[in-house]
Order: sequence, then C-alpha cells, then structure tokens
Amino acid sequence: MDIASARQSASGASIRISGLEKRFGAVSAVDGVDIDIAAGEFVALLGPSGSGKTTILMSVAGFEFPTSGTIHVDSEDLTYVPSNRRNLGMVFQNYTLFPHMSILDNVAFPLKMRGLRTAERHARAEAALATVRLAGYGYRRPNELSGGQQQRVALARAIVYQPRVLLMDEPLSALDKNLREDMQLEIKRLHAELGITVIFVTHDQSEALTMADRIAVLRDGKIQQIGPARQLYERPANLFTAGFIGEMNFVDVAVQSVGDDISVALPWGETWRLPATAAVEPVAAGEAAVLAVRPERLQFGAGSSGQVIAVTLSDIVYAGAALLLIGRLPDGTEMRARIPGASQLSSLAPGDVASFAIPPEAMLLYRGERQ
Amino acid sequence: MMEARRSHFWRSDGRRLSGLSTLLLLLPFFALVAFVFVYPILQLLVISILEPHPTSENYARVVENPVHMRVLLRTLWTATLVTALSVVLGFPVAYYMSRAKGTVAALVAVCVILPLWSSVLVRTAAWSFLFQRNGLINSALMSLGLTSQPFKLLYTQSAVVIAMTHVLLPFMILPIYGALRSIPSDYARAAAVLGATRLRTFLEVILPLSLPGVVSGSLLVFLTAIGFFITPALLGSPQEMMISTLVSKQIREVLDWPFAAALVGVLTVFVTLLAVIFSKTLRFDRLMGNAS
Repeated sequence: MDIASARQSASGASIRISGLEKRFGAVSAVDGVDIDIAAGEFVALLGPSGSGKTTILMSVAGFEFPTSGTIHVDSEDLTYVPSNRRNLGMVFQNYTLFPHMSILDNVAFPLKMRGLRTAERHARAEAALATVRLAGYGYRRPNELSGGQQQRVALARAIVYQPRVLLMDEPLSALDKNLREDMQLEIKRLHAELGITVIFVTHDQSEALTMADRIAVLRDGKIQQIGPARQLYERPANLFTAGFIGEMNFVDVAVQSVGDDISVALPWGETWRLPATAAVEPVAAGEAAVLAVRPERLQFGAGSSGQVIAVTLSDIVYAGAALLLIGRLPDGTEMRARIPGASQLSSLAPGDVASFAIPPEAMLLYRGERQ
Repeated sequence: MMEARRSHFWRSDGRRLSGLSTLLLLLPFFALVAFVFVYPILQLLVISILEPHPTSENYARVVENPVHMRVLLRTLWTATLVTALSVVLGFPVAYYMSRAKGTVAALVAVCVILPLWSSVLVRTAAWSFLFQRNGLINSALMSLGLTSQPFKLLYTQSAVVIAMTHVLLPFMILPIYGALRSIPSDYARAAAVLGATRLRTFLEVILPLSLPGVVSGSLLVFLTAIGFFITPALLGSPQEMMISTLVSKQIREVLDWPFAAALVGVLTVFVTLLAVIFSKTLRFDRLMGNAS
C-alpha cells in the first residue's frame, strides 16, 4: 500500500467521554469529565500536574479502567476494552522505542501484531518512516538516533497501522526548545495530512494554544473550560483559567450595582462603570468580585478612552518585542503592562508614576476574590 | 607522602583520584586474586604436566578412563540441570519481584536474600534432614497414602540437583530481577497499545530485554554448580560422584596430586571455553546499546 492511498483511507474517529470518574482510594483523579471530540479534531488537555489530564488519556488508551463513566470512539463503547484491542495510536513522553529492535522493526511492530507478512509490513514501515522524513533510517538502532528523531520514529510507529485516533502524552517535553517547535509543526502537518483525531496532553500552555483546535483546561480532575485558543485567552470562563492561561492582572473590587452597566468600587476609593458584558460570571450588588485585565491591553498614557489608573513603577524590563512595566496601584496591588514598540518610554525609571488607560472591552469581571 | 595521599583521598572537592591512588586502592584485591587464585591454579596446571615427569599421561588418564569421563559428564549435566531449573523457577519470582511494591516487594526480597545469609552447610544439612528415610517428605507421602514404602531420597542425584538449585536460586533471581527492573514500564504499555497481547508483549519485548539478566544468572549458577562440593558430598551417592568430590578424594585420600591437577585442568578448560563462548556470541552490550 503506498502512502497516498494510506492518507486517503485514514480518517479520524469521533470520541465521546462522558461522566468519566477515576478514584484512587479516597483521591479523585478525574471527577466527572465530559468531552465530545469531533472526527479529525485536535484537542489538547492542559493543566498543572495532578489535574487529571494524564489519567483521562490513560483511560482512553485503556491503561486505566475508570471508576465510572464511559468512553466511546465512533459510538463503539471502549470503556473496558483492553488496550491491545482498541486500535488507537499513542506516542509517549520518553519515545518508548524498543531498544533491541531496529528502527524498521519498531515501526513494523504493530503490523506484526496484526499478522501482516514480513515483506508487506516492512514496505509499510518504510512508507511511514518517509512520512516523518526518516526514510533510510530503518536499519539503525534507536540509540543511534537523536531525541527528536526517536520521537518521529515513535510517531511513525503510532500511525503505521492507520489508527483513527492518536493519543499523545506530553510527547515534546523531553526535547529542547528548537526541536520542540519543529516537532509541533511536524505533528500539525501530519494531523492535517492524515485527518486523524488527536488528543494531546501537555502542561505547556503555549504548545496547547498553538497546536490544538480546542483546549480543555483541567484542575483537580474537573474541566474548567473547553474551547478554542482565542476564546480561552480572550474570555477565560473563570478565575482559574484566567490566571492559568497567559499573564493576567487581577484587582479586587466590590460590586455596587448591576444594571445596564455595572458599577464597582476599587480599593483606592474610585468607582468605575463597566459594560454589562464585562461580567463573565453573574455578579450581584454587594458582592466581592475580581477585575481582570491582560497586561498587553493596558495603554500607556491617560489620553485614550476607558478608565485610567496610576501605577508606581518598580521594574522596567526590556523584553525584545515589548517593554514590560511592573508597578503597584495606589492600594499596593501589583500591575503589569506590556507596551509594544515602546522605545519612546526609555526615559521611564523605577519610582515614576505612569498612567495607563484600560479600554472597557478589555475588562473582565469574575465572582470571588483574588487567589 | 602517605599522609598526603590519605588527605587527598578524603578531600571532598569531587576531584578524581590520581592514577596512582586508584591503583593503590585496587591493589589489595588484585594481589589477593593473584596469590590465592591465579597462582595456585597455575601451580596445579604445572603439576599436572610436569609430575612425576614431563608428561601428558595425567590427562590421558582422565580422558581414557570411562569412569572419570562419566564423572566429568555427570558434573556438566548436573550443572546444566540446576541452571535450567533455576531459570524456570527463578524467572517468575524475579518478574514478580520487579512488579511488586512496598511491603510485598520487601517480603519477597527478604525471602530471596535471607537464605544467602545462612551457610551452604546449614542449608544442605536441612535438606538431608528432609530427605531422610523417616524425614518430613517421606512421612508426609506415607501419611497421605501416596506410597506405602519410603522413597530413597537421600544420597541420590535428584537430592543433589534439588538442593543445589535451592542454594543457587538467588544467584539466578537477582540478575534477572535487575534486568527486569531496568525495563521502563512504558514499554509494556506501548506494546499493548500497538496491539500486542500480554503474551506477545512478554515474548517480544520483556523477555528479550531481560535476557542479559538470564545469561549472567545462568553463567553464575552454571559455573558455581560445576565446582560445587558440599552439597554433592553430603547428599549425593558415592557411586554418582561429581568432579569436585573426585578431586578432593584424589588429593586427600589417594594423594595423587598430578592426577587431581589434571582433573582441575580439564575443568578449567571447560569453564574458560564456556565463558569465552558466551561473551563472544551473545553481544548483549552492543545489542542493548549504551544509551539504555
């Protein structure tokens, strides 16, 4: 079978994870997770360690059986099917190439398990190696390849039997930065070419944001938010996601009234009127709330529209594309601003008081208090 | 001078020891090996070809006398049997040990290692107690009604094989355990997700990767078994002698040193050949690569 026809015949499967729960003794590693993944979609599971993202992947792979809940792939219930009969592709963090086999035998291994004859499985393994641009490396041993090459072999081995789902467990975290970026593109390219459904576990948010169609943010075994990168970044659904994805400034406020707009009291005595759309979560008068603003949405100088804040600068960091200004609001709350192309600000020094304008559409309002 | 070297040795700055101090540290061990092992062996080999006069006669006696050849073959056969039994009995234990966690793992490890702390003599004596005509095994068989007459167990080759396997089993289990422990658990998972059944995973991945442990365990057991003395002497039949018993007899009773030396010579040749064959044909170091 040549690779062109392999590409055509392979396509992704849809995955439905519903009510997934996994307890280890008294600890809930996964606590009621529902995810619907469309055929051919690239979904990243993102969260700090212990958030349950790996346990979800292990349940889909069949290494863990959930305490309750189901996993369907294309309407087939795989919840308690053993791994070797799930026909899923998987790439592990540490390559897991079998050291006693040649590269070709490693890639041909799943075909051997499926009973293909030597000639055919070698031909298909060669073709798969060519897809990851490692044609001709078949007769080497895994330890003769670099980390990036080994991970590409692992990728070839995971797709050679045309699984409809590819699971990836932090596949790039063992690679150094440049290789990681190459591999991100490589995986994106393969995903586009093969149309395979991908579940990608990572703790690296920029990796998740750049690679995935949708990202599920997890904490303590629960999904905090699931959505495309833009939505997660521009309108995080709760305080955890707001703080976890990217940089965010938080200011504690008190809600005074809620109507066509929302008026909030700031800690230094000012009262601001925010558009009603600023409230991500419903807020009520008399309650505590948190105002969140991304550092790059702050505009230097008081001239523009929006609310104006005075920040006493403590650090001025030249960060290449942008200037990072760190300081404190009148009540002591820390505030960061990223000002692009700000060479005209070179006269600023620590101790100066700078004014920033916050556009109304940049303000997000959450219930509760800063963590 | 000595004082300076000592202080250098104890310095904790992480610097490498000089060649000379390394040599001094290793010298006692190698001196011991040279004086109590290499020298006596060479001396024996010299005796075997020079006494009573320069001759090949001593070796001719070993090879030409069918009784002596039988002793040699019996020794090799017994060692082979003990090795094979140790692999079969030891591998599952090593596998279980490599998977066990916490208290269970500690318990299994103690069960494996504890016998090593008691002397071979004690363990062999314990077996002779069990194997006696009225010993535990025979009385159990008889009270269960499996036999009316006690079996002859003591002073048989089977008793020797059983007891030697028991004594040498830890030397098989520990290297296999070491090899199994060094296999990352993700390999089994990878094999499973790629479509391998548990049996195929074991045969295609776990077993090949544990072979270096099996080979070094087998070498250890086989070579020790060839030279085993106490167990065959206490549990074996005088009609079915092993080579170490024969050598001891020649030295202590017959006082035929040149012939005993020739027996040792033949044994040495066998052992050396085996070691060379193993290290040349099974290049596991290259197979595994140095990265893993």
